[in-house]
Amino acid sequence: MAITVEPLGDNTIENPEERAPLVLGGLDYAGVTDKVCAIWEADKAPKIWWLVLAGAACLLLMFGACINHLLMKGVGIWGNNNPAYWGWPIVNFVFWVGIGHAGTLISAILFLFRQNWRTSINRAAEAMTIFAVICAGTYPGVHIGRVWVFYWLFPVPSEHLAMWPNFRSPLLWDVFAVSTYFTVSLLFWYMGMVPDIATYRDRAKSKMRKFVYGLLSLGWTGSARGWHRYEAAYVILAALATPLVLSVHTIVSFDFAVSQVPGWHTTIFPPYFVAGAIFSGFAMVVTLLVPARRLYNLKELITIRHLENMNKIIMATGLMVGTAYGIEFFIAWYSGVAMERFAFYNRAFGNYWWAYWIMVSCNVFIPQLFWFKFFRTNTIAMVVICIFVNIGMWFERFVITITSLCRDYLPSSWHYFHPTGIDIMMFIGSFGLFTTLFLLFCRFLPIIAISEVKSIMPSEGDHH
Amino acid sequence: MTEKTKSEVSEQKLVGLLAQYEDPGSLISACNHARESGYKKIDAFSPFPVHGIDPALGIPRTILPFFVLIIGLTGCAVGLGMQFYANAADWSPLFPGYSFMISGKPFFSLPANIPVTFEVVILSSALATFLGMWALNRLPRLANPLHRISRFKRVTNDKFFLLIETKDPQFDRTETESQLSSWGASVVEEVKEDLTDQQLPSWLQLAGLMTALLLLIPPVLIFRAEGMTNRKPRLHVVPDMDWQDKYKTQTLSPNLGDEKHPKFLFVDGRAMQEPIPGTIARGDLDTDSEYFRGIKSGTDAFATVSSAGARTSLQDDTRQDDAANDKPAEPNSDTAATSEPDWVTQFPTNVEVNLELLERGQDRFNIYCSVCHGYAGNGDGLVNTRALALAAAGKAQWTAAKSLNDPEIIKNPVGRIFDTISYGRGTMGPYKDQIPVEDRWAIVAYVRAIQGTGIKPESTTKAEEDAVAE
Repeated sequence: MAITVEPLGDNTIENPEERAPLVLGGLDYAGVTDKVCAIWEADKAPKIWWLVLAGAACLLLMFGACINHLLMKGVGIWGNNNPAYWGWPIVNFVFWVGIGHAGTLISAILFLFRQNWRTSINRAAEAMTIFAVICAGTYPGVHIGRVWVFYWLFPVPSEHLAMWPNFRSPLLWDVFAVSTYFTVSLLFWYMGMVPDIATYRDRAKSKMRKFVYGLLSLGWTGSARGWHRYEAAYVILAALATPLVLSVHTIVSFDFAVSQVPGWHTTIFPPYFVAGAIFSGFAMVVTLLVPARRLYNLKELITIRHLENMNKIIMATGLMVGTAYGIEFFIAWYSGVAMERFAFYNRAFGNYWWAYWIMVSCNVFIPQLFWFKFFRTNTIAMVVICIFVNIGMWFERFVITITSLCRDYLPSSWHYFHPTGIDIMMFIGSFGLFTTLFLLFCRFLPIIAISEVKSIMPSEGDHH
Repeated sequence: MTEKTKSEVSEQKLVGLLAQYEDPGSLISACNHARESGYKKIDAFSPFPVHGIDPALGIPRTILPFFVLIIGLTGCAVGLGMQFYANAADWSPLFPGYSFMISGKPFFSLPANIPVTFEVVILSSALATFLGMWALNRLPRLANPLHRISRFKRVTNDKFFLLIETKDPQFDRTETESQLSSWGASVVEEVKEDLTDQQLPSWLQLAGLMTALLLLIPPVLIFRAEGMTNRKPRLHVVPDMDWQDKYKTQTLSPNLGDEKHPKFLFVDGRAMQEPIPGTIARGDLDTDSEYFRGIKSGTDAFATVSSAGARTSLQDDTRQDDAANDKPAEPNSDTAATSEPDWVTQFPTNVEVNLELLERGQDRFNIYCSVCHGYAGNGDGLVNTRALALAAAGKAQWTAAKSLNDPEIIKNPVGRIFDTISYGRGTMGPYKDQIPVEDRWAIVAYVRAIQGTGIKPESTTKAEEDAVAE
């Protein structure tokens, strides 16, 4: 089917008289299908895809080798040492799990708020969520010492252990929160994808593809009764995922806030962590989608308006995070607790001042550029800013974890944290895992929710 | 149609009529017409959820939300109950709960248990939503007659379909077709069910059978291994901490240097160090001679005890260790070897002989002593009896265990009995390391009690003599 080539209009202009179109280029239903399926139906993946996949696979191998080394030698190969027993592994865990928040936010919260622009980006964002949570889960997963008895994390009846996990520990809440989040995100993602997998099934040419996609699509026919229950289930899942997504980073923040380390024991942590998570997650979505839309020529579906909306959210959550930084200082002063005051003074002006100011520059100052429309709508500029945001968010977790632990209540144990080479390789390696999974997703699964995009298009020959 | 397909045609059954519409609007109007004409078994198919199709088809609201609510509430109860059971309750026949004391906080406090409860509610509700939705939709259903129609493949792309099933009482092949066309259908087509569709392909049946058989192998191997004995050590899939890089106590240190310049952990070549001379380990300051050795205090403890030759060298070693702890060995120990120490004849003052002590003594006696000396102390324990039989057959060397009711034995003061239990006598081994001091005194009290009963050893019966002779 020929795709009608129309000039892409500028859909970022606000016109109160009509809703801005979310699908450009005059695409009809078949046009949308063809556009998305073209990625999968292409005989060969683009060269750049292979190049990036090769690089990512190398990093993934390195990641695997590091984990193997860790299992053989023990956690001593990391820089974690008294008093900073939580070093890079927890920093990376919180970093990744934070990134993993944008997907469910887009698919659940924006769905409940009837934000139609979510339809073009939610699939990729959900996939990103799942891959980010996989990366996140790896760190505590390999940090538990005896990885082969990881199931002791869960309340599994065991004659061998003859005891149960401590349900009043935030670390156990984390196990439940992250594993629930992963499961629910996966269900949500897969359920949303079934109608689109059915599209792939119906267009498949090779026997292999017919079989695999036929199995995955569960025999979906698009029946009205099916859609009725499907939509009901979708709303319920969205309503369940909304508090879930807020709870996950809240509970992650409890890992810190429930302890008594100066700089951690604050009630602002849950909202501040959630805002930071959304902030970094959206930045990652923009960082991934801009190259993807360019590579796969999806400009008609992922329009500048979509990207601009995300950039607005990034700026809003960035301001929330900035406010939280300020409030933390105020509360430290207002509390009158000497150690608390010192902890925050030390963050900004102690021996980790460099990390603190990288964090503030990347998270608070640089996103202010989004006040200007040029930066919100220029794809290269926004990717650069979003990369800075993610650098800043990594440093935020570093600052919180390391500065507080290295300056705890006992000055005799104060210490300057040094990561080892393995720490650095494992962090870089996790990007290999993430990128590999995302590239495979782009090639073999529908990266845009085809059926959802169609449902927000003005219908042809509308009679009702 | 070729000859080959004709035989298949005979197995095909008409399921319904499928009408194609080009846009959602005409689909909805067709649905409305169909419903108003009284059709019940109708369904519409579309690439995306078409708004307004539910009332047009008369689809009732799904019960999914109620199902999810019930599962969610159940999840809440299970989540809370699980935490209470695991951390606050000690009862359970199979896997007991474990009252987990953390910083003296209450075992069960709702605020701390909310996060996990919340996550369990979300998880169970989400699973219920996901699984419930597919179950209500009767999916997965991989063989559907609709998938046989090539035109229907565009239902997931850009076309809209209405199906009226033959099961509908109003269904009439020609009448329904003309109605569907008049409601704006671009094409009307028959949907036929091929009964062969319902059979699994033969290769799949074979593959399934093979998989099932292969899956049986691991459990069979496990059960087989469980029912067998094996002299090899068990399989260590994960070595855990079974083997550690460490030197055990009382072993030689390996040479850490090279041949020419041997280096050991400690200069004496041991893997552990001796206590510094003059130090006593915690709890080992056995100054009360009457209590710890059964010898009257003030008299010489060890030098005289070792009624020479009766003890093995090992026993002598331990004796020397003890002596080193207490006081240096007497230079004239060898000469005094035959004389007996001054045994206590009364129980030490800190051993209160009462029923409780006797019961404890009986308990310990039955565990440690009765195997040779017999439950009544007559020297007819099972080990002794069996060993005597073997010795009589020339298969073993054995010195008969003494009857505790032997008049010579009864004469022994309590201190000597205590010493015998502690260090052994003749071929009897020492029980000092197995039985704590207070239990040894309890055994002494019990031995005294059974000696007091005056039960004499029974003369061996004829049968036993026969057994010995064999």
